[in-house]
Amino acid sequence: MRRTISLTLALLLVVSVVAFATGGQEAQEEQVVRFWYHFDDPETALTPLITKFESENPGISIQAERVPWDAYYQRLLTAVAAGNPPDVAQVKLWWQPQLVELGALLPLDSYIAKWDGRDDVYDRIWELTEYTDGKQYLMPLQMVVLYMYYRVDMFEELGLDIPTTRDEFLDVAKALTRDTDGDGEVDVYGFGIRGARGGHDWWGSFVLSSGAEFFDRFGNIGLTTPEAIAANQWFIDLYREHGVSPPTTPNDGFREIVANMQNGVTAMTIHHIGSARGMHDALGDKISAFPVPMGSDGVWTSFGDEENAVFAATDVPDAAFKWASFLAEAENNALWQESSGQVSINKSNANLPQGDLDRFFKATSDSTPFAGVLPAHPATAEFVEAVWPATMQRAFLGEITSREMMETFAEHFSE
Amino acid sequence: MTTAAPYTFLSPALIVTLLIVFIPIVYTISLSFMNYVIWKPNEIGFIGLRNYIDAWADEVFRISLGNTFVWIIGVIALQLALGFVAALILNQRFPFRGVARALILIPWVTPSVITALMWRWMYDGNMGVINDLLVRSGMLERYVPWLAQSTTALPAIMVALMWQGFPFFAVMILAGLQAIPTELYEVADVDGAGIFQKFFRITLPMISPILFTTILLRTIWVANSLDIIFIMTGGGPGYSSYTLPLYSYIKAYRGLDFGFAGTIAVYLTILLITVVTLYVIRVVRTEDRLR
Repeated sequence: MRRTISLTLALLLVVSVVAFATGGQEAQEEQVVRFWYHFDDPETALTPLITKFESENPGISIQAERVPWDAYYQRLLTAVAAGNPPDVAQVKLWWQPQLVELGALLPLDSYIAKWDGRDDVYDRIWELTEYTDGKQYLMPLQMVVLYMYYRVDMFEELGLDIPTTRDEFLDVAKALTRDTDGDGEVDVYGFGIRGARGGHDWWGSFVLSSGAEFFDRFGNIGLTTPEAIAANQWFIDLYREHGVSPPTTPNDGFREIVANMQNGVTAMTIHHIGSARGMHDALGDKISAFPVPMGSDGVWTSFGDEENAVFAATDVPDAAFKWASFLAEAENNALWQESSGQVSINKSNANLPQGDLDRFFKATSDSTPFAGVLPAHPATAEFVEAVWPATMQRAFLGEITSREMMETFAEHFSE
Repeated sequence: MTTAAPYTFLSPALIVTLLIVFIPIVYTISLSFMNYVIWKPNEIGFIGLRNYIDAWADEVFRISLGNTFVWIIGVIALQLALGFVAALILNQRFPFRGVARALILIPWVTPSVITALMWRWMYDGNMGVINDLLVRSGMLERYVPWLAQSTTALPAIMVALMWQGFPFFAVMILAGLQAIPTELYEVADVDGAGIFQKFFRITLPMISPILFTTILLRTIWVANSLDIIFIMTGGGPGYSSYTLPLYSYIKAYRGLDFGFAGTIAVYLTILLITVVTLYVIRVVRTEDRLR
């Protein structure tokens, strides 16, 4: 009897040890990829993509966290500094220098070399996202190119043609700035300028196309040349001298720019495909788009990007890359864009029908050849977040001159 | 009961306070003596008083400091004035007084983010309701871009914060008013005191302890509040609505310079401690004199 009991106990022990060991092994095999993302539209759901990925990749689960955009970068950097970043996160190109400086990103070259989807991503995107050390840290995710929205009905009413140069643009903007209800006060403005954070894209389209450049080909700062200062003055004058943008310009952010356009307060503004649906729903055929006009020295518009980065601190680099590359594959990327409202990075998605938004996609593709990015410099992030808005607003208010404004930028980038 | 007992009972609260208040304070002070730009890990190090000296050479710091004074004094004065008037009205007898006393708390319980967004749209220079009402009533000729002019941005935000904070003053002062024995007023009536005499000789001295505490609390809260400014203007246009806490926040989370941000925070703390200490000394002296 005692022997039976001992045997039973021994057997139970063996069974439980085996069960524990295999259970532990299973737990080890289950890899969790922590993913941070942000969408402008809070209704967006990632669930279908996650479900698809998890069914195609058993043993990997995605733990996605939506982080509000306003606090996104600060949370990401503090997570990196605290040594606890996510495994994969949606990032902007202009953050790359700081993140690389921190040693936070995992170079993906060896992974990408073995990845089948590489050739289906636009070559221009690989060029733009490659870091200055020759390594590829980012997996392309989505892109936008900024173009000009305009009110077709107002152009027709005044018999205006689409402007192709900076001077024509100013003439058109002046003509559109008018008093429509006869009360003696201007109630429609030609051009909505975003003077608050994020408005560097509006500024860049006119200043970087007319002689200003962050760094010339020798690496010298090219923001304080006479041409650069004059181009900047031209931009300031849109508001101060010609009054073609609303009096609220210095404080106008994304919401104001879009609301002003949708409510007929402005007749033109710059933005990307992300706002096309809202514009079309509000104004229908009364709104369309064209590429930004040419400056005195060429044409420049902002290439808006989003990539996925795999963080060096990850315990699951293979699984993390699988997720990042999964989102860059044509079929999945098209699904992602349905949620994000942006443009796919895949060549094979180029001809997907866009229905009633076709004209905005055309403006995007027409603008792609001259789309550029801000310099890959560690000072760029603070330039965008704090230096540009405060300095631009001061120039708009007449507190500083065009020269002082450009010198502030030059000083920021030379530190 | 042993002498250790009180300490034992207090220790949980003390330990929690130590962890969530004292340690971050010490950490901030230590950061303020360092070059600590988060993305330059190789340059992080002790630099003594450099940040403290550099701050005075920094134009934005000086602007923020000036704005902080305007902000604290302006907001507290506005809230106190409106709160006092509201409390005096709510202390009268009128129908539905209970409902009015409850409704007045709405601004106070509205989250700052909602308050800020609401006021931002009300102030909008192209389609805001404030402009619309002022133009319709003939008080303004044309729409004013309240938040886009350096002269009006900070005052406009102060009005928004006045709206949010005055119920706290009103409720506190109302509580004080209700605690004043009615006999005092009856006696004053018998002595032939007028309405102003009654206010300055009875009402004000009787509620002064409550006023003192409320002003002290609100000064600290208002000085530290940056959410409304951040959402309404982001500190702009230019630096015209920068205050010290906002500048510290922007330096830390936009510029990622935690060292300098820590220095600004320490300066703000010194400023607050000075103001509060001077205020406490003055009030204590006044109360001694009254006794």
